[in-house]
Amino acid sequence: MKSDRLGGSTGLSGPVFLASALFAGMVVQLAAAAQGLAQDAEAGKVVYDLWCAECHGVNGAGDGPAAASMLPRPRDFTQARYQIRRTGSGQLPTDDDIRAAIRDGLPGTTMPGWPNLSARETEDVIAYLKSFSRFFGMGDPPQPMELGTDPGGGPAAIESGAAAYLALECEACHGPSGRGDGASAPTLEDWRGFPIRAADLSEVWLFNGGSSVDDIHTRVLTGLDGTPMPAASDAMNAGVVTPEEVWALAHYVASLGPSQAPPLNEVVRVGRAEAGLPGDGDADSWGQAEAFYFPLGGQVIEPPRNFAPTVDGVWVQGLHDGNDVALRIQWNDPSRSPDPSWDEWQLKVSETLDMDGAFDLDASLAAVDAEITEDEPRGDAEGEVPRYPDRFYVQFPFEIPTSSQRPYFLMGDARNPVYLWTWDSEQGVGAARGRGLASAEELPEDAVAGQATWSEGRWTLYVRRALVPDPEADGITFAEGATIPVAFQAWDGSSGETERRSSISTWYYILLEPPASNRVVVAPMIAMLLTGAFGLVLVRRAQSGD
Amino acid sequence: MNLRRQPIVQAAVVLVAAYVLFEYVIGYGLPLVGVSSAPVPQTVILQYMAIVIVGVLVYFSADEARWKSFMQPVRDTLTLPDRRVPRGLLMVAIPVMAGWMTYQNVRLSFGAPATLRSIHPAPPGEITFRGEPITLTGLENPLRSSGSMEEHIALGRSIYTVNCVPCHGDRMDGEGHFAPAFNPVPADFTSGGVLPQLTESFVFWRIVKGGPGLPTEGTPWDSAMPAWENILEQHEIWATIIYLYEQTGFSPRTWHEAEGEAH
Amino acid sequence: MRFDYRSRVAAALLTGVLYAACGGSDGGDADAGNGESGGEAAAEVAAIDPSTVGTISGTINFSGDAPAMEAIDMSAEPDCAAGFGDEGPMMQSVVVNGGGLANVFVYLSAGVMDAPAPYGAATLDQTNCRYAPHVMGVQAGQTIEITNSDNLLHNINATPTENRGFNISQPRAGITSRQSFAVAEVMVPLRCDVHGWMEAFVGVVDHPYFGVSGDGGMFTISNVPAGTYTMTAWHEQYGTMGMEVTVTAGETTMADFDHTGLQMAGHLVGEPLVIHHGSDEVVFNRAQQ
Repeated sequence: MKSDRLGGSTGLSGPVFLASALFAGMVVQLAAAAQGLAQDAEAGKVVYDLWCAECHGVNGAGDGPAAASMLPRPRDFTQARYQIRRTGSGQLPTDDDIRAAIRDGLPGTTMPGWPNLSARETEDVIAYLKSFSRFFGMGDPPQPMELGTDPGGGPAAIESGAAAYLALECEACHGPSGRGDGASAPTLEDWRGFPIRAADLSEVWLFNGGSSVDDIHTRVLTGLDGTPMPAASDAMNAGVVTPEEVWALAHYVASLGPSQAPPLNEVVRVGRAEAGLPGDGDADSWGQAEAFYFPLGGQVIEPPRNFAPTVDGVWVQGLHDGNDVALRIQWNDPSRSPDPSWDEWQLKVSETLDMDGAFDLDASLAAVDAEITEDEPRGDAEGEVPRYPDRFYVQFPFEIPTSSQRPYFLMGDARNPVYLWTWDSEQGVGAARGRGLASAEELPEDAVAGQATWSEGRWTLYVRRALVPDPEADGITFAEGATIPVAFQAWDGSSGETERRSSISTWYYILLEPPASNRVVVAPMIAMLLTGAFGLVLVRRAQSGD
Repeated sequence: MNLRRQPIVQAAVVLVAAYVLFEYVIGYGLPLVGVSSAPVPQTVILQYMAIVIVGVLVYFSADEARWKSFMQPVRDTLTLPDRRVPRGLLMVAIPVMAGWMTYQNVRLSFGAPATLRSIHPAPPGEITFRGEPITLTGLENPLRSSGSMEEHIALGRSIYTVNCVPCHGDRMDGEGHFAPAFNPVPADFTSGGVLPQLTESFVFWRIVKGGPGLPTEGTPWDSAMPAWENILEQHEIWATIIYLYEQTGFSPRTWHEAEGEAH
Repeated sequence: MRFDYRSRVAAALLTGVLYAACGGSDGGDADAGNGESGGEAAAEVAAIDPSTVGTISGTINFSGDAPAMEAIDMSAEPDCAAGFGDEGPMMQSVVVNGGGLANVFVYLSAGVMDAPAPYGAATLDQTNCRYAPHVMGVQAGQTIEITNSDNLLHNINATPTENRGFNISQPRAGITSRQSFAVAEVMVPLRCDVHGWMEAFVGVVDHPYFGVSGDGGMFTISNVPAGTYTMTAWHEQYGTMGMEVTVTAGETTMADFDHTGLQMAGHLVGEPLVIHHGSDEVVFNRAQQ
């Protein structure tokens, strides 16, 4: 039975398969081909039911029990619409395409890579995935597109790619800076009508189909089937851009962000601004401050949980001048909430995603119905959709801890509260005492100040306060040279994020650089002199004999 | 004189061996032969080494003759005319080292402060589940003796995938899509150091009470593990535990084994 | 201009040279798999004997007051909005004029024994940020030429269930993409993700016996071989309805639908639903809403 399937169901003849494997340098595949690994869909079902079915569903329809807590939703295999392919728009993926998606996963989604599956298991799962759709096995096996070879990058290519980005009107969805804030972004849906975000092109390491220039180039020409991302192949063939310009576009997009997740440093170095603190978040002097990246995750600890948060990371910079400390915090959020043009998006998210009890679905559906029957233009129905602001909290303990003990990272608790710098796109900057999630109690006498600006899909928040709080105000005293715990929390109002539904981090640290001190030079000198003198005495006494 | 019989060389060998044992063998060597272990924190290594040094000095100074022969190379280096060059080098090298060590101590470090964290703290004998007391000592998974195992596993699989995957991951290796945001990182269930070392009642306690229920040495203020009694029912948690062991292929530690070790 | 079976027959009366010229260029650009040459089609079309075929004609009557159409907010694309009069652009899902319902796809859903191969290409235009036409029919395997007449980005995202879909971008005016659907499917939705209001429906059938009701609700299906058929009408909001028609050679059979007879069923586009209509078993389809 297995021998019947040998070679046939892979869709590739032995030599072609071998050649492609060699070309890609995939040792595992080569070994699989050399052993003549046939694909066995029945064996694949065992693996699939163990590891895949909870999300993708027992029948491959992308409707497993966990699907509702995921955005984007898991792939529905029954229509064989695969995002990550090297074949043309609408075509079936090759086995190589499916194999790569299983091995590498789809970064930026809940689909992890499965390098731990054996070559045998992978081949079997591929066969089983294909068995969900009648499209496989009809007609000729799919062939990868002729994608050409990269003529190379460099500043000229990136400049040409930026022009191609405009020529292909990528900004309609991805926005002028690529942060997924294009005019059409709020209305995007996948082929099943579920809301889907335009990719934030500055998070290159989270691209669904991989972060290499080659990967990006392929995605541009083949599109991501099942999503709104179209194939640009016809536009290229019509001369809107040349094949070289498509490669340049790939180089440009790759240049928009790091291809690997930014390294995590646990301590934000808050340097001394000798020439004075910058007065706002746009000041050039922020260029001298090192930026630290902290990934954020959904608040999935206390219900209502947030399984698919908007904000997935934050860049933090700090400067101080011995009197005041200022932080500049930047994060990407395609919507400047509250914004009526995102009302429909918010409703769709709340219908698609498991809101864990946060949202009254019936009420929101009634709001949609009301909107339809009123025959009003979209988004104009006043007050039907709850509109929340964007928010951000910076969290400290009230006292710098002397042991490793700290307040609970999730905004403290009744006994150990946290000190918060709060910002809200409607209320601005303030300070608060947190005694657990969603329990910020305002500290009006606090002198913290600042503002935030939103530009092209990114918030820049500037917060400033004296190192020593006012005598009548409760708040942390920022001691120079101490590692001070800090944590972050963010909300995107237009995705229905409010109260407990947020993005969070656990504790990290900030450290205010103390004034340059000659102690660093003097102390080792003294140590050397003392040790040297002691040595001399020792030798003298030993030689004088006793 | 035979170098190996030099007391000072013997002392050096003992110190190096002790350091290698503490730093590498315990943390990295034992897991290679299948014994569960973890790297020893630097502060603890420092304490251990101090004890070893004191022990070595006590041994060599206990006997007058042994002490003399122990100190002989030192005295020779300090006094003999033909040892002038090594003596000069040491006279420079030792103060420079002292200076360097002082510099390392006084310069500003941007590393995170070290925190000691007990990975598997001792469980309490009794906990509450939504106020109802449950005795942990001797507690077995009630689902193992009732109902259909297949149904328990299926229930556990669904609960795991919805609730646990964001942090502990589809592969159960602690690399869920939210894992990078959390420090300490979520537990890796594929590691031999987690599930097989624990009784099911311990796992039940950790799930029910989560991070906030950890004792102080478990740094409860840092752990992002929810207290699942707020979200899941008892039988759902027991089913999830069965799934954890079933899917990873590990067996839970039995109370028999746990007692054997305690005595 | 959309493909119309009548124009094919009119063309059959012209010279074969013209055929070869038009058909040849179409065939050359068509998708692989469509694989039909103009010459063969010409021969086949010429084979139609007018004494064996008749015409079906009718109106989709709309009773009562038509619902007001939702205005489209095209402020994001002023160039497109400028193409409309004072009342501005309106949605096209329910268009009623003179008591007739437009954009109803009418096709023979049962009884067709034999059908000529598709000939020529159907065309779909994107103009002023709307699809023209909003509803169209094609034969399975027939080339559809999709053209952008707006000098801005459209993408054409087809999400059939019986066929392979596609999603292609056309960022400039003048770009034409050629696509086809291999098997029958009523209806294939097309949408533009850049402009959420842009939607079109393509009815794919195995034969050329279909029509779409125009302004005023009139439709005509020509050159239908004499015989008895089930004819089905489809509308995106009101659903589907079947009826039996008998075509007599050389005559025009009148067959009107009333929009109240159209029925929605709990099914999505493309999913056939079998219900009983009179004594016949009829396959129904409905729109996704």
